[in-house]
Amino acid sequence: MKRGPVRVLSLLLAALLLAGCGGAATQSPGSSAPSNSSGPGDSSDTAAPSDSASQADTSEPIEIGVITSLTGSEAKFGEAHMRGYEIALEEINAAGGVLGRPLKLVVEDDASKPENAISAAEKLATQTKVPLIIGSYTSAATLPAAQTATKYQVPFIVPTAAADNITEFGSKYVFRINSPSSEYANTAINFLMDQVKPQTLAIIYENTNFGTSTAQPAKELAEKAGIQVVAFEGYAKGAPDFKPMLSQVKSKNPDAVLFVSYLLDATLLMRQIRELDFNPKVYIGAGAGFSTPEFVREEGAGKDAEYTFSATLWTTDVTWKGAREFTEQFIERYGVEPAYHSAETHAALYLVKDVLERAGSLDRQAVRDALAATDLDPDATIFGPVKFDEKGQNAHPMLVTQVQNGQYVTVWPREYAAADPILPTPTWSERK
Amino acid sequence: MSRVREIVPPLLLAVIVLSVPLFLKNPYWLNVLILVLVWTALGSAWNIVGGYAGQLSLGHSAFFGLGAYTLAITATHLGWNPWLGIALGMVLAVPLSLFIGSITFRLRGPYFVLGTLAIAEVLRLVALAWRSVTNGAVGIMVPFLFQGVSRAPYYWFIAVVAIVAVGITWWIERHKVGYYLTAIREDQETAESIGINTTGYKNLALVISAVLAAATGAFYASYLSYIEPDIVLSEPVSLQMAIVAIIGGRGTVFGPAVGATLLVFASELFRAQFKQAHLLIYGLLLMAAILFLPGGVLGTLQQRLKARRAARAALTGSTFGVRKEAS
Amino acid sequence: MELLAQLPQNLVSGLLLGGMYALIGAGLALVYGVMDIVNMAHGAFLMVGMYTTYLLVTHLGIDPYVGILITAPVLFLMGMLIQRLVIHRVATASHMNQILLTVGLSMVLVNTAQLLFTADYRQVRTSYAETVIRIGGVAMNLAYIISFAVAVAITVALYWYLMKSEFGRALRATAQDLHAAQLMGIDVQRVQMTAFGLGMALAGAAGALLTPVYYLYPTVGENFGLKAFTMVVLGGMGSVVGAALGGVTLALAESMGQIFVGHELKDAIGFIVFVLVLLLRPQGLFGRARA
Repeated sequence: MKRGPVRVLSLLLAALLLAGCGGAATQSPGSSAPSNSSGPGDSSDTAAPSDSASQADTSEPIEIGVITSLTGSEAKFGEAHMRGYEIALEEINAAGGVLGRPLKLVVEDDASKPENAISAAEKLATQTKVPLIIGSYTSAATLPAAQTATKYQVPFIVPTAAADNITEFGSKYVFRINSPSSEYANTAINFLMDQVKPQTLAIIYENTNFGTSTAQPAKELAEKAGIQVVAFEGYAKGAPDFKPMLSQVKSKNPDAVLFVSYLLDATLLMRQIRELDFNPKVYIGAGAGFSTPEFVREEGAGKDAEYTFSATLWTTDVTWKGAREFTEQFIERYGVEPAYHSAETHAALYLVKDVLERAGSLDRQAVRDALAATDLDPDATIFGPVKFDEKGQNAHPMLVTQVQNGQYVTVWPREYAAADPILPTPTWSERK
Repeated sequence: MSRVREIVPPLLLAVIVLSVPLFLKNPYWLNVLILVLVWTALGSAWNIVGGYAGQLSLGHSAFFGLGAYTLAITATHLGWNPWLGIALGMVLAVPLSLFIGSITFRLRGPYFVLGTLAIAEVLRLVALAWRSVTNGAVGIMVPFLFQGVSRAPYYWFIAVVAIVAVGITWWIERHKVGYYLTAIREDQETAESIGINTTGYKNLALVISAVLAAATGAFYASYLSYIEPDIVLSEPVSLQMAIVAIIGGRGTVFGPAVGATLLVFASELFRAQFKQAHLLIYGLLLMAAILFLPGGVLGTLQQRLKARRAARAALTGSTFGVRKEAS
Repeated sequence: MELLAQLPQNLVSGLLLGGMYALIGAGLALVYGVMDIVNMAHGAFLMVGMYTTYLLVTHLGIDPYVGILITAPVLFLMGMLIQRLVIHRVATASHMNQILLTVGLSMVLVNTAQLLFTADYRQVRTSYAETVIRIGGVAMNLAYIISFAVAVAITVALYWYLMKSEFGRALRATAQDLHAAQLMGIDVQRVQMTAFGLGMALAGAAGALLTPVYYLYPTVGENFGLKAFTMVVLGGMGSVVGAALGGVTLALAESMGQIFVGHELKDAIGFIVFVLVLLLRPQGLFGRARA
């Protein structure tokens, strides 16, 4: 009685395995024995037909590996990533490409899941000859992908993920352009100490990776700076009602409130703060929701966003070269303003161009060394300067913006400021 | 003697499964097969409680997560050898499952289902909040179990777990435990009345199930090298364990393996072909399977085989009746 | 004492949210009572109600509250259709299969919404949601108050319908004893279809009420769907009014409990209550006879 199904199953498995082997052969173009190679042939090897696996053929485009979340819960951000890549790709190729060859992206979708990011990284590392990989969006997906890339010794550029441990696990192959979560905290506290000097601070954060890994250092930094943290409230994101929690924070009378929230909660929080007539001297967000384009519009907090500050990586009015043109082009093509995610990927491709040109080859080790030696000045990318420390972290200069008249205006540090910060924040009743 | 003959095909299958990495080197496909084995192990674990004992638990992520976090916490906070961490996870699964069992087995039918769901959710929320131990949402990076680039050792590890899980199921089906569990599934009151210690056997099934799930959870943590509550303690994990077993054929030994194979390959295929729509199709498939194949793939196959055999028996005038298949 | 000062605000917040919870719970209880099905797609129904409301507002400019007059019947019909085509087929199947079918249904609904509307979050702004009413030290959002009032009204209307109308009696009879009802000549099939339709309509109405004060995205229903089970259990499985009261109780417990465990764990409160009630008082806090 059991034999029938067992036989069926064995046959099924065998069939699947055969299909798998067969599928594998057709999957990787030209390379019949996939192995964990550490790099393609050198660039002086011109078009040896049996070695079509290497990217040495100078008429062929250079393929760059990209991992992002095209589908799944983070699809919106994957889309933002792709838009930045697309604009940069066009610009770079129109200007002659890299090393005389056009650039081409091999994009893998991680479907917003870490396990897919791992197999995406593995696929790019072993089944293609990309000299490096850029990706992904969430820290949960980026971290395992970065570890995988490290295993295969493929240089890995991180454009967006903020978890500190991505550059802390000791890899020589991971290079991050954006700031880690702790930097958001650093910037916010520094701003507060410089411009506001609050006695007391309340920290409200969502209990996610980003929220927690930003709020915790913020608390420590604040206390070290002599600010008393009177409330440290983690909340479950996606709740409809924050009033009980907010009224508790209000009763502690903080001078300033620091938020680590994404857009929706940021919107509801500001709305309900107005309802409660809660008036600290300063509202400051650590990026995320408090920096998105929608936040200041009707879809977001609208008028309630006015006067809020936010530590941010990039704004459309930033002074780095090309940012404004990028913004205009973006709006023309896609009908919406770019968020920093698109600026990051745009800059990443320009970084790639610089790196490959300095390396002079597509050899992964050479590329890695060139990455480590990167020193791009602020006007080389729309995302500002790029220089990696020994852990692979770029010291990206962070900014603080304030919503003034419904627009994000850079107000700090002074060398990048477009206007002065408006302080103290008018109370809700004063605002009418 | 027929028992010995019966064991040959499954043993052969096990050997085939174990030998795969010897001739399949492509890491992409190895990864896919690893996932198949993970869900085979999990589905089989669930099957013991859900398929054989008939207790629809939707809270098994608790055990999966326990295994994952035990490994992660002991390896990072205490610096333990990961193998010890895995072992500890399996050991801790016993008291956890007994505890959960003591609460939920008092509940019947849908109450039981919801109870397991609720408890698993509470565990997830606790893991999120108990930051000093679990790092909350920030998660924990788990050290590699095996050094080196090859996926083969990982494959072998999970293959062994999966084979053990299926093997235990195979054994249960052929021994007293299995009969008792089936009796409990079919009619718990009657089983009680004829003297079967229903609570004891239900708990036994849950303990075995939990230990297997915990082992798999620990493996998964090491394979992914990073865990957080939403990855290993979430409701979708519990759901998928049940779905894999049910679509493949619950209450059958190889049902979960079939289900895992189908679902992982379908998921890969759909993700590549249909992009956004793949989850939608997954849902439609699930509904279709419930509506048209209520015993799962293997269950329906078995039913048909039985019916054919019964028809043949009737033709030859055999006096054996046909046992009614439980749905 | 600080905590005491917050009590009124927490109480009021909990109560107002409880009105909407009540509708969600009532809908689920109705389906369970009449059909004995644990409907895991209830949260998805809420989501459908929210998107329907959203479409009405953005495309036809209809106020979300007025829109219930359209949203509810639309979802009612959808529910009946779903029951007839899909749920009905597993009426005699095992609980497991029924539950899993509703899980699949939920996946289909959620991902269809994702395809149609993308995962983008959407909001509906109304003037009510901008207005604050302050009494004593307590701040209340006008939209919340309206939503609460409408929820109460609908629940009362439902109760009246179930108690007084002929069909309501047929519903209750079927809930009590399917076979006896059949023997009495009740068209059980129609009753079940209607009950499911009503359940979906109620979830949809709750969604409509939630839209002005919250935001929508395809998976918005998940959290509420799970909580609905707690409400049903509090009320005694199958008791519609019990579930409604359970909804209010749950919202209050979350709101007040936050003072002690913080916002993060407020959802855990519900689940723990759920398990405790199942263990210690399975007939629920409010359940006695079925409503």
